[in-house]
Amino acid sequence: MKTQRSCLIVDDSAVIRRVVAEMFRDMKFTVSEAPTGLHAVAHCREQAPDLIMLDWNMPVMDGITCLREVRALEMAKRPIVIMCTTESQLSKIQEALAAGADEYIMKPFDQGVLLDKLSQFDLA
Amino acid sequence: MDDLLNEFLTETNESLGTLDVELVRFERDSSDVTILGNIFRLMHTIKGTCGFLGLPRLEAVAHAGENVLGKFRDGELLVTPDAVTLILKCIDHIRKLLAELEAAGKEPEGSDAGLIGEINAIAQAQPAAPTGTASDDSAPPLFDDTGFPVAAELLAEVAHALDPQQILFVSAPEAPTAPAPEAAIPAPAPEPVSVPAAVKDTPVAEARESALAASSIRVNVDVIENLMTLISELVLTRNQLMQLQRMQKSGEFKVPLQRLSHITSELQDGVTRMRMQPIGNAWAKLPRIVRDLCVESGKKIELVQRGADTELDRQVLEMIKDPLTHMIRNSADHGIESPADRLAAGKSASGVITLEAYHEGGHIFIRISDDGRGLDVARIRRKAIANGLASEADLASMSEQQVLQFVFRAGFSTAEKVTSVSGRGVGMDVVRTNVERIGGTIEMNSTAGRGTVFLIKIPLTLAIVSALIVETAGQRFAVPQINVIELVRAGNRSSARIETIKNASVLRLRDRLLPLVSLRTLLGMGEEDSTRDRFILVSQVGAFTFGVVVDRVFDTEEIVVKPVAPILRGTAFYAGNTILGDGSVIMILDPNGIAGAAGQGQAQLESAVTKSGEGEHRDSGHVSLLLFRAGSKELKAVPLEAVARIEEVSVSSIEHVGGRPVVQYRDHLMPLIALDDGHSWKEDGKQPILVFDKNGRALGIAVDEVVDIARDRVTIELQPGREGLLGSAIVAGKATDLIDIEHHVARNFSASFGMDYPVSGEAA
Repeated sequence: MKTQRSCLIVDDSAVIRRVVAEMFRDMKFTVSEAPTGLHAVAHCREQAPDLIMLDWNMPVMDGITCLREVRALEMAKRPIVIMCTTESQLSKIQEALAAGADEYIMKPFDQGVLLDKLSQFDLA
Repeated sequence: MDDLLNEFLTETNESLGTLDVELVRFERDSSDVTILGNIFRLMHTIKGTCGFLGLPRLEAVAHAGENVLGKFRDGELLVTPDAVTLILKCIDHIRKLLAELEAAGKEPEGSDAGLIGEINAIAQAQPAAPTGTASDDSAPPLFDDTGFPVAAELLAEVAHALDPQQILFVSAPEAPTAPAPEAAIPAPAPEPVSVPAAVKDTPVAEARESALAASSIRVNVDVIENLMTLISELVLTRNQLMQLQRMQKSGEFKVPLQRLSHITSELQDGVTRMRMQPIGNAWAKLPRIVRDLCVESGKKIELVQRGADTELDRQVLEMIKDPLTHMIRNSADHGIESPADRLAAGKSASGVITLEAYHEGGHIFIRISDDGRGLDVARIRRKAIANGLASEADLASMSEQQVLQFVFRAGFSTAEKVTSVSGRGVGMDVVRTNVERIGGTIEMNSTAGRGTVFLIKIPLTLAIVSALIVETAGQRFAVPQINVIELVRAGNRSSARIETIKNASVLRLRDRLLPLVSLRTLLGMGEEDSTRDRFILVSQVGAFTFGVVVDRVFDTEEIVVKPVAPILRGTAFYAGNTILGDGSVIMILDPNGIAGAAGQGQAQLESAVTKSGEGEHRDSGHVSLLLFRAGSKELKAVPLEAVARIEEVSVSSIEHVGGRPVVQYRDHLMPLIALDDGHSWKEDGKQPILVFDKNGRALGIAVDEVVDIARDRVTIELQPGREGLLGSAIVAGKATDLIDIEHHVARNFSASFGMDYPVSGEAA
């Protein structure tokens, strides 16, 4: 049996974390949560997840900074990072991709959109 | 889903609260990019969350707001009060939608096109001139216009250098004016990991959101309440065990019991602390309220808050929230003058309201002071007379301080005009009632032209109170000690006696008649046994002072208040129940409820017998009359004020001196007179007497029967046909003769005392 895939959800809204976590649990992921970028970096330092759902706007440390931090870490495996954003400007998305994001997803999203985005990666 | 919705509501309401505060701060200093960043983020999160939960209306409104905020942030739009007002309106609208969502469980039908249109119109407005603080999206400036690094960037930098789990960012409310290396304090690590952080010489600017949030979790209130209940049980069981131990001769349990006791106390402390919340939570709305009021009235007001982190029980906090809001409104609306008036009075144009909270001896003190115009004593005087709260004579004998206290009376408002802010009808009496309900007190001091200070004192927690244990009909009850003003022992040998006026019991206490309630009859446990000594708990609810008659009084005890069982919730007499150290369950009496029950039967009596000199319960034009019969079936009446006492003497004790009836009364001979010459004196039994006090001399008027005390607006309908009568009037629906008591006293005075009746005012 294949080991379970792990996912880290980074968002300052507990409600959003819960909704997204539900989607991933449905897909048989083990889910961890982090309320800020700082927590996410700390988490990755200890244990790199397979996938990070990263919100852009967060207090203390925002998503893009967090992304740069995570990519700067030495890790056993390179987590897939999906930036979650409502920013529709192309410049933002380009900035994220340049900083090492693998994909972006517009909030709000449902499980269908999420599956579409995930299908390109070797996860499911 | 319901659960999720609840979580959403809690989270969003919290964000909205922060938004209110931050926006007002931002308006004051619109160059502060970190505040704006925070505001934008909050609105953005609200919008994002709504999107996830499928709440299109809320999402659209939040989006419109976010749009404007984004333009502020990007320097595309100038920050104007109008625009901020609109954003606040947007927040209010979101709040309204949330409330409806909470009530209905789903987003209400309707359209927000109007508001969104308004907001969008602002968003389309002229772009702002480029300023130094305007930032480009992709590359925010590392330095703001004060020349110091922008917080978020720096935090990231610092975070890079440090283990994020090992640092705490201490939030500094003001933008730093110099590098503050101490601002980042290494906190004890929750887990022992990695290298010690090198914080020295690292400049850290303000960090609005502290990483402290990481060490706190959100717990459902019910869980804590339940824990509190369990702890209370544990405390009670501990008390029981301790009591058992004291009766045991062997000491083998002594040490472990002591340890148990110690741990229980610590546990109780801990859980009590868990219920504590900073009082700042109750203040969050206030800056916004003051700000709105300033915009509306053209005043300039600064709200200074001190001690916002003072903690108190969340139950108390909830109950103090509204009174505080009301008082701040009052201060801002009535206390602080317009800028022009202030300048004319030699003050700065901007008024200051200071809100302060601090701990002192198991109580929380909240001080609200303003530097406004102060209360107008003359106006309060006029108002008190106009409202019939006091007579001019009453006021003349009062100090300014006493006169000021009238603002706490029901229906008292000194505002000359009704404003949309303070409104009408709700006055300081509501504030006082609310504060007193949680066992607090409120004091006020005011200096004309200098301002007003209110001081509220409230207990830290409501869960554990000091109570007096009493007994009635073999059952014990607890009465919260704060409700008991004094204890009086009434009995045959004591000077205090329980008297009866028209089936109502009263206690004469220091020249004042106190209405009594018998706990025994109130709770349907039989009739009072008048031969026994009894105890009276003198209690005060609002302006109503009354006595509760009980059989015995034991001791005071710290009790844990437990809510009343649902089956008893219908009766207003109980505030809860508790378990005593000996394990017995007893009820806690609620003086408010008892006053209600007492008030129905006794309000009339109470208002009538309260001595008029104290200026209580007097309406203009209303007179309290003592109704009695003497000589004939017709009702007669005298003003109650004139009657010093009502006595009953046994006929056998009436003696005759010089052919006139007298009775020994308080070591003096008191002459007795009858209203008509044809009065037939009783042969035996008891003779009711109305005692009048004239210049230190007591004079008794013999009557057949004291009927009632009536309180009425009296119009004399018939002019007197007979001497000694003022006239006739309808009192309480019956034709009644009004006795001219002065006439009778004067007629008998010279004969009785052997001197002329003195002209009023001079001593005899």
